Amino acid sequence: MGAPRPWNLIAELTYRCPLRCPYCSNPLDHAAIRDGLDADAWARVFREAAALGVVHVGLTGGEPSVRRDLEAIVCAAAASNLYPHLVTAAVPLDPDRLARLSAVGLRSVQISVQDAAAEPSDAIAGTPCFDRKLALARAARALGLSLTLNVVLHRRNLPRVAELVALARSLDADRVELANAQYDGWALRNRDALLPSREQLAAAAAAVRAEQARAPRPEILWVLPDYFGERPKPCMGGWGRRLLVVAPDGLVLPCHAARDLPGLEFWSAAERALGACWADAPGMNAFRGEAWMREPCRSCPDRARDFGGCRCQAFRLTGDAANTDPACALAPRHALVEAARGRADDLPLVYRGGSSPGDPA
Amino acid sequence: MTWSRAELEARLRQVGAERYHDKHPFNLRMHEGALAPGEIRCWVRNRYYYQTRIPVKDASILAKSPDAQFRRAWIGRIHDHDGRAPGEGGLELWLRLAEAVGLERADVASLRRVLPGVQRACDAYVTFVESNDLLASVASSLTELFAGDIMRDRIAAFEKHYPWVDAEGLAYFRSRTSQAPRDAAYGLDFVLDRAASREDQERCVAALERKCDILWSLLDAIEEAQRRPRLSPHVALRDDDERPGGALAVLSERAVRVNPAGREILALCDGARTAEALAAELAARHPEETHAFEDVHEFLASMARLGVVEIL
Repeated sequence: MGAPRPWNLIAELTYRCPLRCPYCSNPLDHAAIRDGLDADAWARVFREAAALGVVHVGLTGGEPSVRRDLEAIVCAAAASNLYPHLVTAAVPLDPDRLARLSAVGLRSVQISVQDAAAEPSDAIAGTPCFDRKLALARAARALGLSLTLNVVLHRRNLPRVAELVALARSLDADRVELANAQYDGWALRNRDALLPSREQLAAAAAAVRAEQARAPRPEILWVLPDYFGERPKPCMGGWGRRLLVVAPDGLVLPCHAARDLPGLEFWSAAERALGACWADAPGMNAFRGEAWMREPCRSCPDRARDFGGCRCQAFRLTGDAANTDPACALAPRHALVEAARGRADDLPLVYRGGSSPGDPA
Repeated sequence: MTWSRAELEARLRQVGAERYHDKHPFNLRMHEGALAPGEIRCWVRNRYYYQTRIPVKDASILAKSPDAQFRRAWIGRIHDHDGRAPGEGGLELWLRLAEAVGLERADVASLRRVLPGVQRACDAYVTFVESNDLLASVASSLTELFAGDIMRDRIAAFEKHYPWVDAEGLAYFRSRTSQAPRDAAYGLDFVLDRAASREDQERCVAALERKCDILWSLLDAIEEAQRRPRLSPHVALRDDDERPGGALAVLSERAVRVNPAGREILALCDGARTAEALAAELAARHPEETHAFEDVHEFLASMARLGVVEIL
């Protein structure tokens, strides 16, 4: 069987980030991973990705705008006929630089906010940045860029879903992503303090429906936390199926967290052709298709929809990545998730350390 | 507790005061004289589908009643709409209105180019009557309580603002200024007499609300069809390498696969044509595709939901 066609490239340009969000899902040892690809290397990755069928590239990190060569990278993505989409926390990116990125081919930008007002937002980010986020969002619309506002939701900001949509509307955002935190990486460490209550979630879901009925804009994407669903999320749309991640050091992955799974061999785009890394690396093929599945996934009618859930979460919670994701109500280890829901409380958060070392490659 | 007769009537009239379609923006613009001839024609063409559903709905109500006296009274509505002979009745008068605004009678009567949203609204009304009891069905017809006034306003508005429409064409509206209040009085008495429990009374109010919402959504669909779709500036349109003639519409975190027919539609989304004009153009271009007109509207609605098309 040939590898499926990847549609979307997640280009993690760096793991460096000036923010210290306690729900960060990037690898815990991110400080040790340096920016291994220069702009020319990324240009090669983009050309090879386009040849594989990729049409869209998310330029992300970490914070991609800490790279001084971001203009060259955006330009290369556009030159390869990829749709360049920038995911940023607006630090250190400013409106002038955004205008330069737009001029070289940037099409859309996603800006994260941590809450609906400056004080709680800055408290989560661990650095004052809310006002510059709004300024950057206005600059994006003035430049004619497509604008998405992204908010990671948890028990501290979930009561303000309506205010968050109002904020997006006031910025004339095209979309607002209300994504409940995924409990991986640093977020797993803070899980008990981040997990909401069922009542909080029900109220937020009702607020989302009310806002969706109010106006067609902005489009509201509501991502339920999988700890509260009956079935797991279709993580990344399936392992190595549509989405291709290239990490800052060039490692080609099915998702940004998969490098921490033990015993899997992934290959680096710094050393080999991207097509080989995608199609032939043993790690990429470890969970493709359905052959790896055990019961209850193997005979489950939902397996083509949710692909058995998240391999990283299965490993993190059960110690074996081939187990059914415990977020699934049918999973033998579902009690782990139920117990975690029971421990959720208003607890202090543990913040990530300061930004990591390393200069642009 | 059961409402008094007077209170139930007040509540029914309140439904009209709040949600009858005389307050719909499209109707307001019609009566202000702000509609272009194309918009008037679109309304006349589509509203004809509603007219054709009325006798069907009334036949269904008729069939629910075991009472000969009720049936003798109610059957008059069918005669009003269908006439006693070809060339008579409300449907005929509506086709004359269609001619007066510049439409082809046969084209309108064929019910081709009825907007899907209008079709859904009208069919929902028939389905509502078919699946509810006599009391709720009669209650749903009480929008006629509010129809007399709207007809008088409409005649005045057409005479004043749309002199290009021949006065002969307004005969339908004139006929309804007397028929609607007469029918409404009969229906209202029936409902006030029969709605004996609070539950029945509330069902009657809900039925009238539902009917108002159906009329409202009919105008929504007509208004929507007069808006102008444009390819979103955020879309990068490229060839679909897996399907000759097809396209991929790439936008932020989304790629939408469009088949060759869809691509042909998108090519006309220039922000200048109305959705209705665009659909009519494509239907004319593909006479072999019997549902082309409806399909174009459904396609545009789905593309708007996905952000591929903006509706100006």
